Amino acid sequence: MGLFHRDTNTARPADTAAPVRKTVQSPLTLIMTIRSPEDFQALNAHILEIQAAPPEKNPIWIALDKLRIVHFARFVFLENNTKLAIITTYDGSFEDYLNEFIDEIGDVFNALLQHMDGAPPLPVQQNRDAFGDYVKANNLGGIEPFYSAYPQATVLDIQAALGEI
Amino acid sequence: MSDLPYADIQGFILHTYSMPALRVFALKVGQPEAARQFLGKLVNGESEPRLATAPDWTVKPPYRLNVGLTYTGLVALDLPASSLASFPEEFAAGAAARAGRVGDTGESSPEHWKGQLAGDDLHILLFLFAETEEVLERVTAQLRAGYSSRGAMAELSLHEGRSLPGSTAHFGYRDGFAQPTIDGGLPPLMPDVLPKAPAGEFLLGYASQYMDFTYPVPVPAELGRNGSFVAFRILAQDCHGFEQFLTETACQTGFDRELIAAKLCGRWRNGVPLSLSPDSADERILLEQRNSFDYVPSDSVPDAWDDRRGYRCPLGSHIRRMNPRNSMVAGNSGLKHRIVRRGLPYGPPYDPANPGDGIERGLLGLFIGVSLKDQFEFLMSDWSNKGSFAPGLRDTRDPIIGDNSTPGATFLIPIEGQKRPIELTGLSSFVTCRGAAYCFLPSATAIRYISSLPARLPHPGVINNIPND
Repeated sequence: MGLFHRDTNTARPADTAAPVRKTVQSPLTLIMTIRSPEDFQALNAHILEIQAAPPEKNPIWIALDKLRIVHFARFVFLENNTKLAIITTYDGSFEDYLNEFIDEIGDVFNALLQHMDGAPPLPVQQNRDAFGDYVKANNLGGIEPFYSAYPQATVLDIQAALGEI
Repeated sequence: MSDLPYADIQGFILHTYSMPALRVFALKVGQPEAARQFLGKLVNGESEPRLATAPDWTVKPPYRLNVGLTYTGLVALDLPASSLASFPEEFAAGAAARAGRVGDTGESSPEHWKGQLAGDDLHILLFLFAETEEVLERVTAQLRAGYSSRGAMAELSLHEGRSLPGSTAHFGYRDGFAQPTIDGGLPPLMPDVLPKAPAGEFLLGYASQYMDFTYPVPVPAELGRNGSFVAFRILAQDCHGFEQFLTETACQTGFDRELIAAKLCGRWRNGVPLSLSPDSADERILLEQRNSFDYVPSDSVPDAWDDRRGYRCPLGSHIRRMNPRNSMVAGNSGLKHRIVRRGLPYGPPYDPANPGDGIERGLLGLFIGVSLKDQFEFLMSDWSNKGSFAPGLRDTRDPIIGDNSTPGATFLIPIEGQKRPIELTGLSSFVTCRGAAYCFLPSATAIRYISSLPARLPHPGVINNIPND
């Protein structure tokens, strides 16, 4: 069975030839609805400013470098700049490191979320559960299974193998 | 910060009692009003036995008594719905409902728990620590007279802990080294070089280990503030299986079996950490020095040997998993999931000459923190029963307390100069959970509050025929 073949018969998983590859990584596709065109303008300017900074001054990079659970992260404006997507692949379960995530990158989300419809109460540092619920509610589920070329390798495993840590 | 309000805080949260006997009473509320009054008498200062709060002592007292309340216990004591709704969900669900998350599956699952600990009737736990057997029995008699009076509470089960020679636990390791130093709390028994833990990591109502965050305090504040939570666990230890594993792996690898024991734990059996002494259980390292180490150079220990690869202390060893200190771990969180550990072993010392004695032995363990979810449960689910939090651990689990019932469970020993670690196979679950409870540890003020709650009208159809006294 091909990797991208979607099985349409009713065979039970145990009957299929390919074993399910459980990944240690998880996808996040967070889609946030921007409040207004003016909010988009402000948001766009803010994100461009962050992303234009050199790595050692980009607050997102600094935070993710410390957390060592995020493989990739990018921002994408969608649907005629009415939505902002944050698309990442990270290790483990989001809930497990929610507190650490907020400690390192909470202020970035405080700045983004003030422009979003249905945002949780801010600052996120003092409204942790509500932030977690917001992310869960606005995370688009993928069509399973999630593919990984290295299903068991965490950020830490890869960095250690490369001799970077 | 200034000293915490010791007289309001249950003693064992801040204080290592170092008493040789522990009796845990598992109780069910019979008559709520009588039960509330029994609890109130523990804190009204008029009679013995009394609740132990945290002031340090100059003369060691003969006993210390502490109280834990389960969520169903709070319900049975008639707490208002607004209060009940303000407790965290993992506590409200209880230890049995959360068993899967912490790895209490298979033989450790609640269906096998003893002493009615898995049921909703478990309402109150009394923890009685005593200096002598005579004191233990005397205070037990006083407690029994109190909670039996007017049908206040019924006994579900008792659980006995007794210290072993040399402050060891049943696998033969000297225990009790690593404990957090709580800001504003009492000085630690064993010097600890790590940063002080903020009070709100262990007590409700104070700033926590997380930025700008205080864990929500159950309402009203007099109920919640200065309280904490504990996971009480009865952990049976398979001493024979553990010793056999050491013998077999020593044979397979050619390593000394005591070196393997040290690699599994991260300490030699005398408590000397591998980080300080990788080749021998160096007795010259004094007891009070055996907790003064780190795994990598850090603000705490700038001259620590850089063991980022685990050549001295494997990254998967028990103490490095449970307290990674400044090791590089997922979420940069090595110092943010600490717990206060109390408890005592149970059962007689293991006798290698009589391995099949059929006697259960283990640990009555108390794991205290302001958040069961972020501390005790996190340690079990993420650091004990997964390998993804540190580099190179693959899907291995804690070799001593982890769920290693799956076939092919391994332990990895990194060796300097070798690309691949040595893999020890043949692990099994050396520790089985035989019972557990999640308890709220109310402050003295909270117990007074509970004891003064108004009596509720009896439920329809229930005749209250208990005479007043």
